[in-house]
Amino acid sequence: MNLSVRLRLRLSGGFTLDVDFTATPGVTIVFGESGSGKTTLLRSIAGLTRPEHGRVTIGDRVLYDSVRGTSVDPSLRRVGFVFQDLALFPHLSAAQNIEYGLDKLDRDERRRRTAEIARSFDIADVLGRRPKQISGGERQRVGLARTLVTNPDVLLLDEPLSALDRKTQSRIMSDLQRWNAEHQIPILYVTHSTREAFALGDRVLVLDEGAIVADGTPDQVIGQWAHEH
Amino acid sequence: MDWTAIALSIRLATIVSLVLLVLGVPIAYWLTFSPRRWKFLVEAVVALPLVLPPTVLGFYVLVGLGTRSPIGRAWTAWTGHGLAFTFEALVIASTLYSLPFAVQPVASAFAQIDRTLLEASATLGVGRLETFLRIIVPMSIQGICAGLILTFAHTLGEFGVVLMVGGNLPGITRTVSISIYDEVQSLNFSAANQTALTLLVFSFVALAAVNAMTRRPWAGLHGA
Repeated sequence: MNLSVRLRLRLSGGFTLDVDFTATPGVTIVFGESGSGKTTLLRSIAGLTRPEHGRVTIGDRVLYDSVRGTSVDPSLRRVGFVFQDLALFPHLSAAQNIEYGLDKLDRDERRRRTAEIARSFDIADVLGRRPKQISGGERQRVGLARTLVTNPDVLLLDEPLSALDRKTQSRIMSDLQRWNAEHQIPILYVTHSTREAFALGDRVLVLDEGAIVADGTPDQVIGQWAHEH
Repeated sequence: MDWTAIALSIRLATIVSLVLLVLGVPIAYWLTFSPRRWKFLVEAVVALPLVLPPTVLGFYVLVGLGTRSPIGRAWTAWTGHGLAFTFEALVIASTLYSLPFAVQPVASAFAQIDRTLLEASATLGVGRLETFLRIIVPMSIQGICAGLILTFAHTLGEFGVVLMVGGNLPGITRTVSISIYDEVQSLNFSAANQTALTLLVFSFVALAAVNAMTRRPWAGLHGA
């Protein structure tokens, strides 16, 4: 299933987010400087920010359509979102965080899925601990696992590795690549790290003051962007 | 000590606390999370009892519950007697008078929750009611308990509103603070002192408990 996004929304920086693209299964890097509208783009797709005009669809499913007045509630969109600061629930253990979105399943199935993804992300040993009691890398993997375990139709990641050291970043990137190879859904990955863009991206969209100014493979796009900046 | 008045006050404070738990938490939720621009007007109405003289509030409640008012007429038609100067009138008046004490600690606790946590809950497929029960309530439990304790303590010590709406009927509307007033009027300072000291100690313990509770155990843990 493809993610189609056509959005227009005035941003606080005085410019307008105005994008039109389709993301196919695989990792699409959304690249750009701070304040270029990357996070607002993700929030609009997830339904956390309401655009002024546009249409967002996953396959045949319409999430937002300004003409028809359709705006599906964020809880019904099946759009996974990994926040920059993770937003782990501090009063719940790692296991309870991961199980949080699985409440419609019976308890055995919840436990089975949690154990499976915890093994896959190498966090089985910290499941009983609260977010404050585990390392930054472990928290990041709990945050990813919590979103991925719900089997979203689209995955949005907002600079998920920016606060981690390179070794931990590499490890999580390989976790994500492995998961992506198995599930093949559209993933929008916001970053301003060229290293992450080259390591993960099949395609890079460069956002500048709300507009897509380049679209291509990392080799095509990042080199040109680096040259211009 | 006037044990009948103490028992009546405890019954009144317990009922008012439970009523305000049911009413105050949704009001606090709306005040915290509603995007309505005019919500400052509702905030002012909720906070009004903090600045309004109890006699003013008591007077309007008395008029509102009197036999000529729609509420008073409906009550009389239903029960066969008037609403003013009854225990039920005390419950209504005390609920209005203690509203800010129930709403403000809860609203303050709700406001301290990072909105990203609520957005994360939504993107995990969890609806608003369940997010309220699984994230907002557990993370605000100290504020909710503080609201309950403050409401209970405030209701226990009410005087002006109670006197205006309930009068001074032993066993029906004569609360502990009115009992103290009566003892002083009768120059029975020893009995007044015993009851007053009990209220003083209780109020101190309640405030200490509220202060201990409103320390935030999750502070600084968000996103961690």
